[in-house]
Amino acid sequence: MRKYMAVFRGTAMVGMIYRFGYFFAIIGNLLYIGIVYYLWKSIYQGRETLRGLTFNETMIYIALGSTVFFLLKTYSDWIIHYEIREGIIASYLIKPMDFQLYALFAVLGSTAMNIFAISIPTILFMIFVLKISFATGVGLLLFPLSFIFALVISFCIDFFVGLMGFYSESVWGISSVKEIILMFFSGALVPLQFFPEAVRNVLFWLPFQAVFHTPLMMVTKPDSGLATFIPMLAVQAFWTIALIVLTRLFYNQAIKVLRISGG
Amino acid sequence: MRTLGEYLRLYFIIEAQYIKARMQYRADFIISSLGMFFTSLVTLSVFWVIFDSVPDLAGWSLMEMVFIYAFYMLAISPMQILFDHFWQLRFHIQQGTFLKYYFRPLNMMFYYMSEMFDLKGLIQLVAGTILLIYSGTQLNVDWTFTRIALLLMTLFSASLVQISMTVSAACAAFWVIDSYPVLGLAWKLREFSPYPMTIFDGAFRFAFTYIIPIGFVAFYPSQLFLRPNEVTPLIYFSPLIGIGLFALTYWIWTKGVNSYTGTGS
Amino acid sequence: MTLIHIQNLTKHFKILNRREGLSGAFKDLFSGDFRSVKAVDGISFDINAGEIVGYIGPNGAGKSTTIKMMTGILKPTDGTILINDHVPYTNRIKQAQIMGVVFGQRTQLWWDLPVIESFKILKEIYKVDQKTFDRHMDMFNELVGLKALYSQQARTLSLGQRMLCDITASFLHNPQVVFLDEPTIGLDISVKAKIRSVIKELNRERNTTIILTTHDLGDVEALCHRIIIIDKGKILYDGDIKKVNALFGAYRTIKVQINDFNETTIASLKNKLTERFGKDHGIIVAETEEFWTDMTIDQARTPLSDVLGFVMSNFAVSDVRIVEISMENVVQQVYDGALG
Repeated sequence: MRKYMAVFRGTAMVGMIYRFGYFFAIIGNLLYIGIVYYLWKSIYQGRETLRGLTFNETMIYIALGSTVFFLLKTYSDWIIHYEIREGIIASYLIKPMDFQLYALFAVLGSTAMNIFAISIPTILFMIFVLKISFATGVGLLLFPLSFIFALVISFCIDFFVGLMGFYSESVWGISSVKEIILMFFSGALVPLQFFPEAVRNVLFWLPFQAVFHTPLMMVTKPDSGLATFIPMLAVQAFWTIALIVLTRLFYNQAIKVLRISGG
Repeated sequence: MRTLGEYLRLYFIIEAQYIKARMQYRADFIISSLGMFFTSLVTLSVFWVIFDSVPDLAGWSLMEMVFIYAFYMLAISPMQILFDHFWQLRFHIQQGTFLKYYFRPLNMMFYYMSEMFDLKGLIQLVAGTILLIYSGTQLNVDWTFTRIALLLMTLFSASLVQISMTVSAACAAFWVIDSYPVLGLAWKLREFSPYPMTIFDGAFRFAFTYIIPIGFVAFYPSQLFLRPNEVTPLIYFSPLIGIGLFALTYWIWTKGVNSYTGTGS
Repeated sequence: MTLIHIQNLTKHFKILNRREGLSGAFKDLFSGDFRSVKAVDGISFDINAGEIVGYIGPNGAGKSTTIKMMTGILKPTDGTILINDHVPYTNRIKQAQIMGVVFGQRTQLWWDLPVIESFKILKEIYKVDQKTFDRHMDMFNELVGLKALYSQQARTLSLGQRMLCDITASFLHNPQVVFLDEPTIGLDISVKAKIRSVIKELNRERNTTIILTTHDLGDVEALCHRIIIIDKGKILYDGDIKKVNALFGAYRTIKVQINDFNETTIASLKNKLTERFGKDHGIIVAETEEFWTDMTIDQARTPLSDVLGFVMSNFAVSDVRIVEISMENVVQQVYDGALG
């Protein structure tokens, strides 16, 4: 366990060294929130609620959503693709570490840093500058658990796509498709409430909304009650386990391929 | 010194070879193109979903939004197709491989950009054209000779604005190690180009018109064709804006290129 | 005819004195606190057309800074530099036309393209006319069998093949000077030999001046007549390569195999040498491989025959070898600061 904590510390420290990046990330975040504010103000244009959400709720959803989405972006697929291209992969397999766990802890390290360096300033900005009020409720308590599920699911998806790099050179295409599907169907671009009923019913069972929509709803409408949240958490838990198993199987397969073709 | 004509000829020779070599990777081409197509499709779906709930966005209808988006796709294509290599700039700089670009009797920006020609961007170009014609027809846009000339002119400026934004952001790599967020910022900004500038007021509208003119990438030009009477007179100066921004970008590039070798041993 | 004229060339760099910690990093943004580093400090030398010069020094010595100034990508702080009577940095593009550069670590060819297409593109870039192009390509084919590689993509070439392509490519436009940086790095011994002979032949054929920067002294010994050693921005040695070894006087190493060699032998040998030749004998005694004892002597202080005779009459010597100090040792001593 200790060696994985070392990996965690490693990526966290890298984050601390490259501070300049955080500065721009915060600026980018704030800018995005500003733009989105105007966009949705226009969309709402005097209407009180749309599809069951008030303007305030949608704002929190999108603005907070951008922060959460950023946190959940693990880049594991790009990192693995890069390592494959540079031929570094082999060195990881020699180490007495499970490659997948290694990647996970690396992600955890940088995510932890991101929370401190970017998300917290952004939230403070939202509270004190934009004067957006956050509701309270049981959802807030469940949020951390939901977030962890979401992170693991996101990591598994990215790792899965990353492993595809062992089989195909077309990494850009696959990653981009994954990216856009995830963004769209997880509700990151538009709250899922705006989607047609039929589509929503299907989406409920897919892992995409488990990545994003679920944890976000817990902060946007935390008073929706346990009856709403428990099923969502259950779906998350299901997908967390399912994806871990899936990626594990794929990982074992991919390692075999790697061992044969020599990295 | 090489003339523009000589550079064009050289570019054609290099890219012809590059494309031939890339075409061997047929699977990659197909997958990337599908990816590109898919990305555009999904982004369009965002509009569709929003307009499912509201009849208009700041007074603009769905079909008008599609037109603006089509213009946007055309405007970002040159950046995608020709200048894609700049996304790798930070790697070349950090790993030292950037040094090789100094040693040929060629303009360095030309040399750098010529090393990559993004085929999948052509998909975007084609899709954008089709979409533009489609939405233009639906909106009864009258394509007179003047209109077409204006279209080309504004596309030219819009693509220059887009290129300038991304290349300048990439140039941050000359001075900062973790320059990816700067590129990310430029990317985020450009994602909002297909939205009507009228949703913004005050400081933002000013910024997006005069400071980081993403308004000129798609919205202001589209007004020329969709709402000619709402047009801001600035639009007729857009080539100047485009060229001016590119000149600024080139200046930043030159500064970066000169500073890079300064840390030698 | 002097091709490269360097006089009193100096290059300073301003390095920010970085402070620690988060607050330090913040203060650094506004700091004017720079220190000046002299990467190159008043060096002078002239190189004639057709010379092959080895330009060596430890890492951080100022080698690449000098090369960057010679190739026109860096502007000197002080001093003169003229290549072919032109100042390199005033027109990088014009300068590039008369130069060739080869990096051992990375290729200058187009990665995805067949080799012949890279050459054709270079022909366009350097405006080489068709006849010259054909003539050179034929020569390259004779030298390295280039035609066999024409249709292969650069990315599929072995390291050796890639280097041969890079080297010949750098000569395509008939440059006046070619800079070779680590041209044999990572290559096996027979490929190294091939590359060295190709470089020699191209130099002979075209009278191209070659500046070789490398850590592989085998390259230097095989190719260069002249060697320039730089360290800490200053030139330590500039002259005939054969005379480098004489930098530290006439050194020889006598290797002896002593019978009944045990733990006391070395100490005994040292004591006896001190007895016989006095405290300042300057003989370095060491056990190297099994059963071999090395004695490195400075002939100016203690003649070789005396030492050899003495050791052989006082110890049971079964085998003797006498070797010159290698250039590698000399250069290492120079790097370690033996010259001051």
